[in-house]
Amino acid sequence: MKKEQTKEKLLTGSQILMESLLQEGVDTLFGYPGGAIIPVYDALYDYRDRLNHILVRHEQGAGHAAEGYARLSGKAGVALVTSGPGATNLVTAITDAMIDSVPIVCITGQVFSSLLGTDAFQEADVIGITTPITKWNYQVTSADEIAEVVAKAFYIAQSGRPGPVLIDITKNAQIEKAPFAYKKVTHLTSYQPNLDPHPKQLQLVAELINQAERPYLFAGHGILIAQASQSLQAFVEKTGMPVANTLLGLSTIPQDHPLFVGMLGMHGHYGANKLINKADLIVAVGMRFDDRVTGDLSRFATNAKIIHIDIDPAELNKNIQVAVPIAADAKQTFEALLPMVKKRLHTAWLKRFHDYDALEKEKVIVPSTHPTEGEVTMAEVMHLLSEKTRGEAVIVTDVGQHQMIAARYYKTKKSDSFITSGGLGTMGFGLPAAMGAKVAVPEKEVIAVSGDGGFQMNIQELATIAQEKLPVKMIILNNNFLGMVRQWQELFFAGRYSFVEMKNPDFVKVSEGFGVAAEKITERTDLTGAIDRLLASKEARVLEIVVHKEGNVFPMVPAGASVDEVRLE
Amino acid sequence: MKYTIIIFAENKPGVLYRIADLFLRRKINIDSLTVSETEQHGISRFTVVVSRELELIKKVVKQLYRIIEVVKVLEKREEELIFREIALIKVVVKNATERKKIEDITHLSNATVNAFGEDYVVIEKSGTEDEITRLYGMVKPFGIKEFVRSGRIAVLKEGLDRHSGKPKAHPES
Repeated sequence: MKKEQTKEKLLTGSQILMESLLQEGVDTLFGYPGGAIIPVYDALYDYRDRLNHILVRHEQGAGHAAEGYARLSGKAGVALVTSGPGATNLVTAITDAMIDSVPIVCITGQVFSSLLGTDAFQEADVIGITTPITKWNYQVTSADEIAEVVAKAFYIAQSGRPGPVLIDITKNAQIEKAPFAYKKVTHLTSYQPNLDPHPKQLQLVAELINQAERPYLFAGHGILIAQASQSLQAFVEKTGMPVANTLLGLSTIPQDHPLFVGMLGMHGHYGANKLINKADLIVAVGMRFDDRVTGDLSRFATNAKIIHIDIDPAELNKNIQVAVPIAADAKQTFEALLPMVKKRLHTAWLKRFHDYDALEKEKVIVPSTHPTEGEVTMAEVMHLLSEKTRGEAVIVTDVGQHQMIAARYYKTKKSDSFITSGGLGTMGFGLPAAMGAKVAVPEKEVIAVSGDGGFQMNIQELATIAQEKLPVKMIILNNNFLGMVRQWQELFFAGRYSFVEMKNPDFVKVSEGFGVAAEKITERTDLTGAIDRLLASKEARVLEIVVHKEGNVFPMVPAGASVDEVRLE
Repeated sequence: MKYTIIIFAENKPGVLYRIADLFLRRKINIDSLTVSETEQHGISRFTVVVSRELELIKKVVKQLYRIIEVVKVLEKREEELIFREIALIKVVVKNATERKKIEDITHLSNATVNAFGEDYVVIEKSGTEDEITRLYGMVKPFGIKEFVRSGRIAVLKEGLDRHSGKPKAHPES
């Protein structure tokens, strides 16, 4: 006789993993199978209708794609890989996600628990390797732990200051059976990110803002994470504060906003840097005073009191001593402050930024975006792209000169539309991250902008793009140089070009070989048409543009200099 | 300056690794480290002694809070603590005269003879690091077979209110 079905249904660990991912609202995985994760892939076979698995060509690609996906979707991206080399190939992407606060959940297969520590085939100490580069990681050795660990992983990755987490699952845990029950984690006793600003601190902040004559707001990535773009805008419009972006903070505020004064940092805008030392109050939100932003710390913000608002208390007073630290969510803080601050205009102060803008325009911007002769410049490409897409595309960059040029000349209008590897500066980020971004927002135009060096670092993902029919648009700004290093060698190493020149492959042939349409141009007269064709394409397309071979990015704050020593040439 | 950092954390795998890694990243040498269970089930107490400037220690304390399992971190100067470590010193004994001398030193140092054999005694000393170092210096001329010290354990003289308020609330906000 059949037994009554009161007994809990047992699922394999792999099935539990699938069910748990569904419970967390996951619909996309970027992955690559291998021996120690086969049982999970076997379970995935039955979930193909609910979980869209994208087969990358290298695990690093999966990691960056998960990052790109996370940045656009606002939820954790998921990477699924095997043990050993599969897991170690994720390391760069995990580190990138850690320093740029990107929520990704990495699931790695691991050898049978009975083999742990025996140097088994494809065994690597993934927990050991990833401990310093994850917000949290955990090794699962039995099926009944999986649901609980997944729930915890997603909560940790997505809450507070987001970051990467890694779950290492031994093969036996994937195979064994256990009852499945899922409970989402919404609270952990030992981890309670503070969201609401302290009222006393707010009072201090409001007073400082209301008294300030030359206040200046730095808007960082934390604002995008907190989805606080509109709150930021309302706040600066009331207080009349000029606002500058960090590299990762780009697209927190439309760049045609009258209070937007440009980008901070080594290759930021002239006035945006120059006037840091003239401000009497700096309100820094969701940023971390990276050395690329501050230059010489001892000569940074020399006349200003600093208010620092960040959800991560460890960032407060880390690099720079501040007058008022607030450990809280950016949106909640803006909203709490808004009624406390006075309506102000800082016309004269703002004019000083505009005066510097005029100078920068004359010396740098116009000559580089509207050259009349010579080779095509990166700046004119980005300027034209910006015009043609009305600043409404999602730009995903790689790392190097083209990244800085894209940051400077692509005029973002909408939130989350400038995706780049800021903290780690990971070459090879752009192509896979654009792929992940496109999966998250298929309705948006996603354009990867790379240099010739970085494009080759994860070029294999062209195959993924082709297989998945992802209409990602790709621009290679090709100067046949590792341009940023070359620029440093030119400026600071007496022009000794040590291993920066590249004899590149035929990018058109390579792309076409992968099944992606491509075009190469070298002449200015072909630029408009080529960009039009790129944007008009309904499919993935590569546009290689041969640009000025020894162009430099200016303005520049030389490493170790003060922000007000920013150079225009 | 010597600081004692007391860390309360959930007793989970990998926590010691994460803590140790933080000191490694900041290139802070750990003078001593002890880990033990506490009066609270599932919570471990890490006692880390380091000799660095307060400004740096404070930054490390905040970074320690980033570790998901860490519940509470305190950084304390010696005058705020009652602290001890324990040492075992296995001293060479050549003859009865020396044995007498060693025993006298032991008793005068508020230490005890824990075990002995024909050619050795094991002195057990609980005290401050300085007291232990002093005792070690006195018996060293006799010859040392083995010397081990436990690392510092410490309790607060006053004011540990770990059970009140938000575990991770920060003084600054």
